[in-house]
Amino acid sequence: MSNDPQTRSATTQHRPRRQKHQPGNRLVRMCQKELRETMRDRRTIITLVMMPLLVYPLLSMALNRFLVSSTAGTSEQTPYTIGVETDDEGSLLLAWLEDPMSQPPAAILKASKGNLATFRVVNTTSVGLNPKQALQEKKIDLAARIELGNPPRLRLTAFNGDPASQGAQRILTERLHWLRLARAEALAASQLSDYTPPTDVSVENIGVAEKPSMLGTIVPLVLVLMTITGAVYPAIDLTAGERERGTMESLMASPVPRSYILFSKYVAVVVVALLTAMANLLAMFTTLWAGRLLPLLTGGEDAFPWLAVLQILGLLVLFSGFFAAVLLSLTSFARSFKEAQAYLIPVMLLSLTPGMLSLMPGVTLNGPLAIAPLINIVLLAREVLQGTAQAAPAVITVLSTVGYAVAAIAIASKLFGSDAVSRTSGQSFGAMLKRPTRSTPTPSPQAAAMTLALLVPIYYLVSNVLMRIVPELSITWVLLLNAIALVLTFGLIPLAAVVLARCNFSTSYQLATPSPLTLFGVLLVGLGAWGFAHESFVLAKQMGIGGLDVDRIEKTRQTVEALKVAPTWLLVGTLALAPAVIEELCFRGFLFTALRKVLSPTRVIVTTAVIFGLFHVVTGNMLLIERFLPTTLLGLILGWIAYRTQSVWPGVLMHFTHNALLNLATKYQDKIAFLGEGFENQMHLPASWLIVLSTTTLTGLAVVWFSTRKPPVAESNLATTPA
Amino acid sequence: MLHVDSLTKSFPLDDGVLTAVDDVSFRISPGEVFGLLGPNGAGKTTTMRMILGLLEPDSGYAEVDGVRTATDPMAVKSRLGFVSASDGVYPWLTVREMLLYFADLYAVDATLAEQRCESLADMMDIKHLLDRRAGELSTGQRQRVTLVRGLIHDPPVMLLDEPTRGLDVVGVQTIFDYIDILRRGGKAVVVCTHRLDEAERLCDRFGLLHAGKLKYCGTLNELKEQTGQASLVDIFVDLIRN
Repeated sequence: MSNDPQTRSATTQHRPRRQKHQPGNRLVRMCQKELRETMRDRRTIITLVMMPLLVYPLLSMALNRFLVSSTAGTSEQTPYTIGVETDDEGSLLLAWLEDPMSQPPAAILKASKGNLATFRVVNTTSVGLNPKQALQEKKIDLAARIELGNPPRLRLTAFNGDPASQGAQRILTERLHWLRLARAEALAASQLSDYTPPTDVSVENIGVAEKPSMLGTIVPLVLVLMTITGAVYPAIDLTAGERERGTMESLMASPVPRSYILFSKYVAVVVVALLTAMANLLAMFTTLWAGRLLPLLTGGEDAFPWLAVLQILGLLVLFSGFFAAVLLSLTSFARSFKEAQAYLIPVMLLSLTPGMLSLMPGVTLNGPLAIAPLINIVLLAREVLQGTAQAAPAVITVLSTVGYAVAAIAIASKLFGSDAVSRTSGQSFGAMLKRPTRSTPTPSPQAAAMTLALLVPIYYLVSNVLMRIVPELSITWVLLLNAIALVLTFGLIPLAAVVLARCNFSTSYQLATPSPLTLFGVLLVGLGAWGFAHESFVLAKQMGIGGLDVDRIEKTRQTVEALKVAPTWLLVGTLALAPAVIEELCFRGFLFTALRKVLSPTRVIVTTAVIFGLFHVVTGNMLLIERFLPTTLLGLILGWIAYRTQSVWPGVLMHFTHNALLNLATKYQDKIAFLGEGFENQMHLPASWLIVLSTTTLTGLAVVWFSTRKPPVAESNLATTPA
Repeated sequence: MLHVDSLTKSFPLDDGVLTAVDDVSFRISPGEVFGLLGPNGAGKTTTMRMILGLLEPDSGYAEVDGVRTATDPMAVKSRLGFVSASDGVYPWLTVREMLLYFADLYAVDATLAEQRCESLADMMDIKHLLDRRAGELSTGQRQRVTLVRGLIHDPPVMLLDEPTRGLDVVGVQTIFDYIDILRRGGKAVVVCTHRLDEAERLCDRFGLLHAGKLKYCGTLNELKEQTGQASLVDIFVDLIRN
C-alpha cells in the first residue's frame, strides 16, 4: 500500500459530488453494465453464436437427408432407384413404365399436380451385388426380378420401414396395374363392339386450397426452445451467480432501489434471449434458404420469407420479455447456480408442453387458452404465421403476457433483494405472502404490478362468464351481477394487496376528506364532462374505430332497450355508484398512490388513465375499442382531480355524476328527445348543449384548481412517512 | 456519526424463535474505530445488515448523521461504505469498470469518480490492475479492489465485515494500513471480527457481543476495569464460559 500523503488524502479530500438525480440515465448505465458483463462471458457467446452456427447446418443436413428420402421419386432430381440383375429386365421394366397406358387416370394425376413419379433402373451386378443384396445395403430403393413367361412375372422386393422403398413399391405396383387395366380395356373396346366401361369418372375441385404451412407449426416450438436456451444462462448468472460470487451484498448495500437492480438484469436477460433467438432464427432460415429447403417449410415459394421472419421477431420480443421475467423470478430465489438449475429444469420441461400443443390440429387461441401463460403466446405465434389470428384473443394474449411478465418481475424483485442477502433468514416462497411487521403508508409499485397482473386474467374470466350467462338472465340480474363482479375484482383484489402488505387504508386509498368547495367543483365537472364522453364516443364511431358490425349494433340496441325498462335506482346503483366507488378506489386510490412512489404526477395520471381505458375496452371476448378514448379522457380528468385534491372522494363524486347522467340519458332518451337530435340517434350533441357543458366543465375545473391551489405539503413524503 | 439504539432482530425457527440481536446500542464518533467483536453467530453480521438497511429490525433503529435507516434507507446507504466478508468481484468486468459502476450506484459524478478511482487505486497499489479483468486477480488483489470499492463514494461511515478473513500476513497488514488511513481521514469505522488479537491492535473502542447481547462496551482499559481481566482474549473467554 502506498503511504504517499498525496494519495492518502483520497479519503479525506473533496467529498464526491452527487450527480443530479437522473434515475433514467443511471438505469440505462446499469443495464449496459449487466449486458457488458453477460456478453463478455464466453458461455453466453457459445450459446449465442456457436449453437446456431453449428447446429443448423447439421440439422439442415439431417433434414435434407430426411427430405430426400421422403420425397424420393417425386422429381427428376430424386428418382426412385430400381435394381435389376440383367439389362433385359431393365429394358422391359422401363418399357412398361414409359408406356403412356401406365399413367394413372387424369383425376389422380391432377391431384399430384401432373407430376409422375420417376424411376431409374440400374443393374446391380455392376457393383458386384445382386438386387436383394443391394437393397439390404440400401443402395437402391427396390429390387426387381422378372421371370419370363406368358405373362412375364415381376417379383418386387421392398425394404420394411423404409418410406422411399415402400413408396417405390406402391407406385410401381399401381403403375403396372394401370397398364394392365388400360390394355385390357383397349382390347375389350376393340374386340367387343358393345363394350362400355361401367362408369366414366370426372372430378371438379372448388374452393381455395389452404397452403399447409409447416412454418406455422414448427416455428412456435423452435421459438420456445431458442428463447429458453438464450435466457437460462444469463438469468442464473445475474441472480444466483451474483450471490455465489459474493457481490450481492455490496450491490444491495448501495443506495439504488431494488427494482432498478432487478430491472437492469431483466433487460440484460431479455436482450440476450432475444439475440439468441434472432441468431437462431436467422441461421435457421439462411441455412434452409441456402439448402433450397425453404419451399418445403413455407408451402411453396423459394423467396426469403422476410415478413414471416419479422412477425416472428415481434413475437420473440414478447416471448423473451415474459420468459426472462419468469426465469428471473425463479433464479432470484436460488442461492447458488446448482439450486437455480434445479428450479429451472422442471420449468423448461413444462415449457415444452405448450410448444407441443401448438403441433396439435384443432387447438385454437380462444376462451381460457387466451390467458393461459405460455400456451397463449405459442398459439398466437402459430396463428400469426398461418394468417388466422383474431384481434381480440391476440390483444388478450399480449395484455395478459405483459401482465404476467410484470408480476414475475415484481415477485423477482421481492425475492431478489431479501433472500439473496440474508443467508440466515432462509426465505421461502411462502415468505412472499407473509405480512410485514410494520405498516406502510402506501402499497409498493410491485404490489400494484402484481395486482394488475391478477386483475387482467380474473377480469377476463369473469367478464367471459358474465357474457355467457347474460342472455339467460333478466336485466336486473345482469346489472346486479355486473356490480358484484366489479366489487369482487377491482374491489377485493386491491384490498387483499393492501391488507397483505399492511398498508394504511387512509393513505393507500387517499381517503382524506375534501373541502365542500372542491366537491362543488367536481360536481360541476361531472355535470359537464359526460357530454365530452358522449362526443368522443360518437367521434370514435365516425372514425370507424371499433367497427360497426350488424351483430354489435343489434346487441347495443338490445342493451339500450333493456336499460329503458330497468328500475332507475338499480341503474344508478349498479352503473354509477358501484363503478364510481370501486373503480376510483382501485385506480385513483390504490394504483395512484403505488405509482406515485416511482413516477412523476403527470406520468401517474397518464398511466392510470390508460390502464383505466384499457380495462374498459375488454369485455368478454369482444374488444370495444371505441370505449378507449372516452374512458381514457375521463381517467385523465379523474387523475388530475385525485392529484390536486389528494383525495379519492371528489373523483368518486365526479365519476358517479358522469355515469349516472350518461345512463339516465340512455334510459330516458325517448323522453328527452325534444332536447335535440343528438340524444335520440347517438349523434353529435347540439352546439348549444356543447357550449353549456363546456362552460360547466371548465368552471368546475377552475373551482377545483382554486380550492386546491395550495401545493399539497405531504406529497413528497408519501413514500417515506410512517403510518 | 453512527448511532445504534436498542436494535433487536429475531428469526423464526422450526422450534421457536432465535433472537440474533437483542437490544444492542452503541455510538461511534468521526475518526473512531469501533470493534464489534464476538464469536461466530454472536449477531455481528446481523447488526451490520440492520445498519445497512438490508434487514429490517424488529425494534430499535440505526442512525447515520441523524438519518434513520427505517426512515430513509437510501440516504443512509449513501452515507455508508461497506466491505463485505466475501471479496466478490464481477469477473468479466475490468477493475476500473467495476469501480466506476459502484461509483455510479452511489451517484458520484462521473468525472470525480474517475479521479477517485485513480487516487484510491494509487493508494491501494492497484493502479496497474485497473484495466485488468477482475476475474484474473489473486485473492489479495481482489481484497484491495473490494476495499477501494467501499471508499469510492467517500462515505463518512465505514462498515467492515470480517475484513481479514482468508488473508495472509501481507493481506492483513494491508487491512491494518487501510483502517489507519480511514481513522486519519475522520471516518467512523465499525470492524466486525472474531480475531481478538487483530482487534486489539486496530480498534479504539470495543463492543463484545455474545448470543445477540452486547455484554461490554468501551475502551480496552475500561473493559479491563469492568471485568478484571488482563486482555481482550481473557475477557472474551471469561464471557463465553460464564
